[in-house]
Amino acid sequence: MKLGYYPGCTLKTKAANLEKAAMAALDHLGVEYKELSRWNCCGAVFSLTDDDLIHQVAPVRNLIRAAQEGCDTVVTICSQCYNTLARANKLVRENEEKRDTLNRFMTEEPDYNGEVEVVHYLSLLRERVGWEKLREAVANPLTGLKVAPFYGCTLVRPEEVAIDAVDDRILEGFIEALGAEPARFSASRECCGSYQMIAHPEEGIKRAAKVIGAANRSEADALILSCPMCEYNLGTRQREVVAATDGLTEVPTYYFTQLLGVALGLDTDLCRLDLNGPAAQELLVDKKFIAAATV
Amino acid sequence: MPYTPELKELIKIVEKTRPERVAKKRNGEEIPFLSLDERKKRLDFHPDFKTEGRRELKVGPSKGYGIAHEIADLLEAGSRVAPEKVNLSEPAYETDVLVIGGGGAGTSAAILASQHGAKVIMATKLRHGDANTMMAEGGIQAASKGHKDSPYYHYLDVMGGGHFTNVPELAETLVTSAPDAIRWLEHLGVNFTKKADGTLETIHGGGTSRKRMHYAADITGAEIMRTIRDEARNLADKIQVLEFSPAVELVLNEHGQCAGAVLYNMETQEYFVVKAKAVILATGGCGRLHIQGFMTTNHYGATADGIVLGYRAGVPVSFLHTVQYHPTGIVFPEQAEGILITEKFRGSGANLVNVEGNQFVNEREPRDVEAASIIKECVHDGLGVPTPTGRLGIWLDSPMIEDLAGEGTVKREFPGKYILYKRFDIDISKEPMLIYPTLHYQNGGLEFKETGETRVPGLFVAGEVGGGIHGANRLMGNSLLDIIVFGRIAGTSASAYIENGVKDGKLTLEHVVKYNAEVAKAGITDGRVAPAIIPNYTEAEVRSRQLTANYIGNVR
Amino acid sequence: METATLTEKVAAKTIPIYIMGKKYEVPETLTIMKAMEHSGYQYIRGCGCRGGVCGACATVYRKAGDYKIYTGLACQTVVEPEMYLTQIPFYPANRAAYDFESAKPTAETVYELYPELFRCVACNSCTKVCPMDVEVLDYISALKRGDLTAAAEISFDCIQCGLCASRCMGEMAQYHMAQVARRLQGGKIAPKAEHLEKMCGEIDAGTFTDVLAEAKKMTVDELKKVYTERELEPHMGADEWTPASNFGLA
Ligand SMILES: Cc1cc2nc3c(=O)[nH]c(=O)nc-3n(C[C@H](O)[C@H](O)[C@H](O)COP(=O)(O)OP(=O)(O)OC[C@H]3O[C@@H](n4cnc5c(N)ncnc54)[C@H](O)[C@@H]3O)c2cc1C
Ligand code: FES
Repeated sequence: MKLGYYPGCTLKTKAANLEKAAMAALDHLGVEYKELSRWNCCGAVFSLTDDDLIHQVAPVRNLIRAAQEGCDTVVTICSQCYNTLARANKLVRENEEKRDTLNRFMTEEPDYNGEVEVVHYLSLLRERVGWEKLREAVANPLTGLKVAPFYGCTLVRPEEVAIDAVDDRILEGFIEALGAEPARFSASRECCGSYQMIAHPEEGIKRAAKVIGAANRSEADALILSCPMCEYNLGTRQREVVAATDGLTEVPTYYFTQLLGVALGLDTDLCRLDLNGPAAQELLVDKKFIAAATV
Repeated sequence: MPYTPELKELIKIVEKTRPERVAKKRNGEEIPFLSLDERKKRLDFHPDFKTEGRRELKVGPSKGYGIAHEIADLLEAGSRVAPEKVNLSEPAYETDVLVIGGGGAGTSAAILASQHGAKVIMATKLRHGDANTMMAEGGIQAASKGHKDSPYYHYLDVMGGGHFTNVPELAETLVTSAPDAIRWLEHLGVNFTKKADGTLETIHGGGTSRKRMHYAADITGAEIMRTIRDEARNLADKIQVLEFSPAVELVLNEHGQCAGAVLYNMETQEYFVVKAKAVILATGGCGRLHIQGFMTTNHYGATADGIVLGYRAGVPVSFLHTVQYHPTGIVFPEQAEGILITEKFRGSGANLVNVEGNQFVNEREPRDVEAASIIKECVHDGLGVPTPTGRLGIWLDSPMIEDLAGEGTVKREFPGKYILYKRFDIDISKEPMLIYPTLHYQNGGLEFKETGETRVPGLFVAGEVGGGIHGANRLMGNSLLDIIVFGRIAGTSASAYIENGVKDGKLTLEHVVKYNAEVAKAGITDGRVAPAIIPNYTEAEVRSRQLTANYIGNVR
Repeated sequence: METATLTEKVAAKTIPIYIMGKKYEVPETLTIMKAMEHSGYQYIRGCGCRGGVCGACATVYRKAGDYKIYTGLACQTVVEPEMYLTQIPFYPANRAAYDFESAKPTAETVYELYPELFRCVACNSCTKVCPMDVEVLDYISALKRGDLTAAAEISFDCIQCGLCASRCMGEMAQYHMAQVARRLQGGKIAPKAEHLEKMCGEIDAGTFTDVLAEAKKMTVDELKKVYTERELEPHMGADEWTPASNFGLA
């Protein structure tokens, strides 16, 4: 398999803390990949809000780029990008009429018939590397860290592109492989509320409060995520949410890739903990997983 | 149109001699430069030296001076508009500084004047930036590398290129302001081609003793023009741009100061007056006059208007007897005729080769010498390459660059020209180009001082419209430099002039009335008018059927 | 000058073209621009450099029996039989003014000036329509992910003709965004040339004043002598080359 890596815009701007450690981890684990040289926005903003065929043009064009670079599989880390690309791919594969319309629209590109496989980074770890091998590669087991796994919407909905059937518990498997303990966490497949933040801010806060409340109840030390939108609502705005709601306490959030980097013993700088709140860094120092910050 | 089978046969001869020529280039073996005496002889083949190509001016401040017929025709012409019909008492606009011309010189002047607090109107004939500046490709000179160059050597090169006739003060100002001009452009965001550490790439140009040609890929002028235009647009509250509004006359006031201009709205065909405390003429060159029938590299609006305006207002012309022919303009395919092939091709190692595949001149002679050599080779020595339409050209062996600097260099360093030829199914990284001299630059122009001032108070000059900096011949890369240096100076001087207090006075076109009378007195009665504004390319036959069309000069 | 005639003297075969729907017979060797002039048009708008760099002459055309939209520069595109053409000499476009001095070289600067950037649906019409073969969608994508350097490089050949804006379903003016990126790249991201700064300092300090004053006083013969004797930097040599003397500068 030739593996292409589709980064997505947010990872190149605000969410460097989602990308850097992840790519270093692949190198570390001996998975060969190639970052696509030409790509555009995955198209997320549109395909989720609307159903027009034109919104499939962006994701399909990225898949064409992957095919053009000779990749049979493309991996992406952001769960939004994954969702968008995977759904577009599914549409192309299953709906001949729409596929033809898309191909006719993009006459400047080679035809695309769904030749490329879209996988999420977590699936790649599970299927390509395997939990066993990952566990062996862990140099710095996160023993004693209780982590609440947050899937949110886009990794698991709609069902046809879910990276995980309800009971596969892929994030839990991942947490265990790192030597940490998965918290039993009732809100792990809830919506983070970020999509409500502009039109219905109170609703957005309510949703986030629900997730944080559940994390508190599960006595998790930390919450892990895979989506920059979730990170925005549950991480960046957490203080606001906690202040607005009775009975919540703050809980550090990480991208799953950051804990991966720490557990593999990669250069801590790659984890870009500086982009998370200070509590995220302190927790890992307290637990002696990383040295005190020199940032 | 790709090369015809006949031309493809001739290319084989070039290919045959190429390996040896590449080897020589690598070893630094060049055809020796001509001595100063030899240069002089060679220039007999230059169009400037054809005596039947010029005549002495019958009117105006430089009466008796011999210049090309095509320019003389315009200087010995009447006004486009009857002066008494212009309503001078109700100007449509009033401003501090009126800049005439929206090329590189005009735009730099406008920016600087506005930075010094002046309110600016910039009137231009086409769109802002439709100008020769946009077209410059090769580069801009400046002695920026102290380990091997200095303004002194730059000065020597400028003077030598101009055959030691340049006005020394202008040349000095040019070379000593050069590094600061580049720094200004860098600061404003021009993407000069650089090494990773920020060192500017520099190469040779014709007549340079040091590699001091800075460039931005092969669109140096466009990159400069679009950057400073963007800056001027950001200053829209201080610089108002009037497009498609060429100036057709300067307006003076009763104290003899320049006090504005009459503009012509080409779309609504109205004439209107702008009143200003100072005026900067930056109207560029004259290529579209097609002197001696030559094809040209210049933009559509290069019709010497500024010279006409300034001359009528009392400013003499200097060095206007020489015009620059760029040695390498496209002669085939003819759809692209006249288009310039930058000297950088030669700077990067491409030879000029005759029909027999032989070199005949060093590729880095000053332009006039280079052009004269090509004309001699074709017309006198019969060694030109015949084109399908019966013209003659010389090969410019661009594939050599690939041999010298590696495959892909031509496409990377000359993307513009690579695409241009690709459209005609010619791959210039594999096939040579066919070239001939093309009318390129107006060496001379209105007389002015290193402060940008002219003899007429309140009238400043910047850019190609001025004469003296380059003497009888300009070197490549010194004109982009001149427009930035003297554009900035003119902007600064004009605002300083205003700050020193300008007496308000009654506007007048009396100088135009007088000039019209002088033209009539000289016996010129064919009703010629100037400025030309735009060329007319309508076929004579079509024109003969335009029975009710009303042409004033060239313009319908 | 027999090789430098202006108008085509050799009678070329003529072909029919349709200028704004109206038929004209023109010589097949002409560009669209020259064909329109040949037919009796005199340009005011729609013609600038005549050399393919100013973007004044953007032209849209179709061919008989072909649904596709073709574009080209009138000054660069050779006529084809049965082409239906019109020029787009002007197309309104939103340009945001900004203060370059204070603008930060980050993507946010562009986002704030042009929030419509995010209306791009990657339809690629812009790239398809570009007469300069600029990968417009690619530079827009680069801007969206905050890579100003890539946007500056990809957009470098843009001549701002506005055809991309005319076809954009997000109603953006891509080329204005690219201009901001290029200026930020050139002025604030690319490393500055230190040797340039140094030379400006030397000039301000008057290092060359005397030697130039002397040069200005030289007679033509004296000048000719120093000119002829001046040391020439070898053509193919490296940038590091140094001359024997360079007047006070190491
Ligand atoms: C193809 C080409 C390549 C070149 N390459 C180089 C190079 O590599 N290096 C170099 O140093 N130089 C080069 N030059 C020369 C250089 O570009 C020009 O000499 C210089 O840019 C002239 O600048 P300017 O501002 O004086 O005139 P322009 O840039 O021509 O601007 C003059 C402006 O005035 C306008 N105008 C004219 N008449 C009127 C009127 N009556 N009223 C109002 N506006 C008017 C014009 O339309 C135009 O906008 C090149 C020139 C050409 C044509
Ligand atoms: S006229 Fe300038 S691009 Fe055609």
